[in-house]
Parts: sequence; C-alpha cells; structure tokens
Amino acid sequence: MTAQWAFAAVNGVVLGMAVFLVAAGLTLVFGILRIFNFAHGSFFMIGAYLAHAIMGQEPSTLWFYLLASLAAALVIGLIGLIADRIVLRRLSRVSNDYSLIATFAILLLTEGAAKLIFGQDIYTVYPPPALEGIADIGIPVTYYSFFIIACGVAVFALLELGLNHLWFGKLIQAVARDPWMADVIGLRIQRIKLISVGASFALVGLAGGILVANQSLSLDLGHSYLLLAFNSVIVGGLGSVRGAFLAALIFGLFESFNSVLLPSMPGTVSYAILIAVILLKPEGLFPERA
Amino acid sequence: MLRLGAVALYLAALLLAPAFVDRGLLFLIGLTMVQAVFALSWNLLFRYAGLASFGHAMFYGIGAYCTAAIIFHHIPVPFLAAVLLSAALGGLTAFVVGIIVLARTTGIQLAVLTLALSQLALLLVSYSSFLGRDDGLSGLTRPRLELGALSIDLTAPTAYYYFILVVCTAVTAALLWFVSGPRGRTLLAVRIDAERAAFLGINVKRQRILAFTLAGAIAALAGSLLAPWSQIIATDTMSWLTSAQPMLATLLGGAGSFWGPVIGAFALAFIGYFTRTMAGLSEITVGGILLAVVLIAPAGISGLAQSIAGRTRLLARGPRPEGRS
Repeated sequence: MTAQWAFAAVNGVVLGMAVFLVAAGLTLVFGILRIFNFAHGSFFMIGAYLAHAIMGQEPSTLWFYLLASLAAALVIGLIGLIADRIVLRRLSRVSNDYSLIATFAILLLTEGAAKLIFGQDIYTVYPPPALEGIADIGIPVTYYSFFIIACGVAVFALLELGLNHLWFGKLIQAVARDPWMADVIGLRIQRIKLISVGASFALVGLAGGILVANQSLSLDLGHSYLLLAFNSVIVGGLGSVRGAFLAALIFGLFESFNSVLLPSMPGTVSYAILIAVILLKPEGLFPERA
Repeated sequence: MLRLGAVALYLAALLLAPAFVDRGLLFLIGLTMVQAVFALSWNLLFRYAGLASFGHAMFYGIGAYCTAAIIFHHIPVPFLAAVLLSAALGGLTAFVVGIIVLARTTGIQLAVLTLALSQLALLLVSYSSFLGRDDGLSGLTRPRLELGALSIDLTAPTAYYYFILVVCTAVTAALLWFVSGPRGRTLLAVRIDAERAAFLGINVKRQRILAFTLAGAIAALAGSLLAPWSQIIATDTMSWLTSAQPMLATLLGGAGSFWGPVIGAFALAFIGYFTRTMAGLSEITVGGILLAVVLIAPAGISGLAQSIAGRTRLLARGPRPEGRS
C-alpha cells in the first residue's frame, strides 16, 4: 500500500513538472502581452514532431536528445517571433474576447499545417540509452522520470533567476508592468516584447522535445497537456511563473492520487480544483505581485 | 427590404434543396441548419450579453444526449416532448451554471471556467454506461411525430430534413422576435455599458443569467435535433472543438449582426465541403480567414457586406441617416 502511494507521489511530481514545462511559456506570454494563447499546445506538439524528425525513433545519446530538443526550441522560437510580428502585436488593440479567438485561429492554422506536413501517423520515440534504466529508491523509478523532474526544476530556477535578478528579466518586468512608462524612459518595448515572446515560444518547443519520449506522438499530443497547463496557469495566477510551478505540482499530484483513489473516474479532480479556485479566488492562488 | 429578400431566398433554397441534391449533401445541409441555430444561441450570449463562453458544447451535448438516450433506451416519451425536455434540461443546466459562473467571473476566467465545466461534463458522460461511455449512443432511429390525430412519419431523410427546417426556422424567428423586442434591447444595453445599464435600473446580473439560460436551452434544442439526424451521438458532440464551432461561425459571419452566425455556419460548411479531400486544408483555410477577420474586419462577412452596401448607397444617395444598427 505504501509502495502504491509512493509510486503515485513520484508519478505526480513527474506529471507536475511536465505540465510546468508546457505552462511556463504560456504564463510568460500572458505576463508580457496580456494574451492567453490558445495555440500554445499546438506549438508544443510541433516542437515534439521537430525533435522526432531530427533524432528519429531511437536517439543515440543523451546529448543528441538535448541537442534535438534545443533545435526544436530554436525553430519554435523563430515561429514565435513571426507570430508576434504578424498577429500577437496587433491584438493589443482588440478586445479580450477577440484576441482569445485570434489565438484560436492560430491554433487551427498550426494544427492544419501539422496535419499537412507531418501526416496522421502515430510515432513512438524512446528515451536515449542513458535514461532508459530504472533506479531503485524503494520503488522502481525510471531515469527518464528523474530527467523530467530535473528539467522542470532547472527551467523554473532559470526563469526565477532570469526574471528577478538579471538585467533582461528586469527589463521584461518593467515592460510587462507599465508599458507606457517603460516607453517614456526610452526602453524599446516592441523589441523587448518580441524577444520575450520568442523566448516563451522557444520554451514550449523545448518542452516538446524533452517530453516526446515514452508517449505516442500524434496530432493530439498537445491536447492532453494543454488543458492541464491552462488550469495551472489560471490556478497559479495569470502571468506568475512561481504560481504556475506550484499549481502544476498540485495538479500533477492530485491527478496522480485521483487515479489511485478514484480509478473509475480519472481526470475529474483537477477540474473540480480548477472550478473551486476560479470561484473562490478568481485571481489565482499565487497572484503576481502588483 | 434587401435583407428580407435574402432571407426569403435562403428559405426557398432550403425548401427546394431535397429536390436537387444527393443524400450526402442533404445531410450536410441539415447539419448546417442545426449548427446555425447552435451558433445563433452562442451569439445571443456574445452579442447581446457580452459573454464569450468557451464551453457552449456542454449544452449542445446535453440536448443531444438527452434525446439520444430517450430514443436509444426506448423510453416512452413522444418525440416532440423529448425535444422540449432536452431544451428544458439544457436551460436548467445553463441557469445553474450561469448563477455560479456569472457571480464571480468575466473575461479570461469565464472562458477557462466554461471550458473546464464542459470538459468535466464530457468526462462524466464518458464514464457513464447509460450514455454509452466513450463509444456514445448509436443506431438511433428517426421518430414518428404524434400530434393528436395527426401522425407524421419522420423516418425518411427528406421528411426529417423538413422537420429540422421547420423547427430551425421557428426557433430563429422566435429569437429574432426576442432580440428586437425590449428584452433584447435591455441585453444590448448591458453588453455595451454594464455600469450605465445598472444606473438605469437594469438588473445586470439577472439579464446575464437570463441570456445564459436562453442560450443554453436553444443550444440543447439544436443538439436534440442532431441526434436522430446523425443517428449517432458520441462524446465529440461535447468536446471543446464543438464549442469552437459556433464561435468560428459567428466571427466568420459577423458577430455584429443577427444573421452573422447563420452566414458563418454555411460558410464553414462550404469551406469544409470543398477542402474535404485534403487533410488539414480546411483548418488552414478557416484559421486563416478567421485571423484575417479579427485583424482586418472584426465585423465578419455580414459587416463587410454592410460596409460595401453602405459605401455604394453613399455614392448613390449621400450619407444614410444615423442610428440604425
């Protein structure tokens, strides 16, 4: 019985970190542009396809695996730059509902393009040999699980450090808080926004590469993580990286314990949490400091 | 006058369609009529109450599953009563959801909350054996209508097609009557400036809940029409992609006009039909058009037509009087 709980806890943490990897870019884009990007999940999916196209079904080494993920991040980041120049930048002038619908249109475009380019086949990718083993820490846990946890924590640490302590992070925060004032003191706000949107997109491309192993790579890949990532970003407080991290962890754990306690109804608890949080605390559990 | 002519032409085309098109296309046209009513119900929320629901398929699905379950399990309820029951169930659910949701949220939270609720409903349906789990309810037979002494057989596709046409026309007419009356104007006032409307003594929350309930009931009615037409109802009826359909139709056709969603629904069906041979092309076309609509012409097809009509009128007769919508 304890083994089952321990197992569920580890699974929950892994799921939480995976969700955070997807949610990080989403919450960053919201923080900067005040746009909730519905298309986020499909860029995750495209990142996964790109990584698969580079490394094939059986990546030879861990470095190659990471390199392929970085390449996917680069391409998705470039797409992010284009998306900002052509679409996202202009949405500051339209109402919230319309910008949600515009990102939905981007979702349709990218899913259609993915269907045309990658086809409807389902692929499998194995983790690189270095991550294929199983560690015994009382219960068997794959090295790949540790790898996902490490990546999630690393991305979180980098973002926290970068946004709060490095000059560029501070510039981003200045632009996000008060674009008018930032403009007045001579910051190039459009360029800063462009770069940070590119970086956020790159992040989800990277997530696509990192998480591609051990799942069936299909056009639906984005959907499963996307809703959990949405939920984490909302529950964590829109625009807050720390909030998204903690909420993703909460969702991962609850989702995992849900499958132990209520095996006939997987997935219901996280929606219950989301609905309760929105109704009781619409600004999220860990809102951005204003 | 021009608009009246267009509506008459549209109805005439739908009336005559069974004589000219094959069964596959007839099915598509019937489906599009249902989608149009579904989209109209969404736009009632969006245009007249200023609420963008991203989970409207929940109500559509409730209606579809309610009627489907009655047919599938041979529950002895007359078909018309089943349709009305579905609408009532959809309206009741929407009323409850509206009270809870509208108490706290607007904007992005409302979007995500409605999306989450519809996903939760979808999950619960997929866990219910009564509703066929993930496989849904299939082999639904088309019913007979018993109206006192009169009995109409709707088993044949053409007969049921006309039934859809009659119901959709009636619902559309009722909705048009509703929104052009005082209630519709009150709602419009709430959308345009909720604060000022409240100062005028309008109970904003009550108006929004009313719109939510009505939209839910109409969406459920559209769903219940769908069940015997497609003869299978599965979980995709409730999915978030289905929730997107009325939004796409409304935006494409023009959210600023009553007829926008109808135009948009047919435009979507048209695009889908002509790009059906190439996977992915229909998404790219719809996505591209939608993006162009949001960025260039937020009033959609009908708005574009109006502004062109306005411009030609301007050339012919000088500026038209202000104040007409």
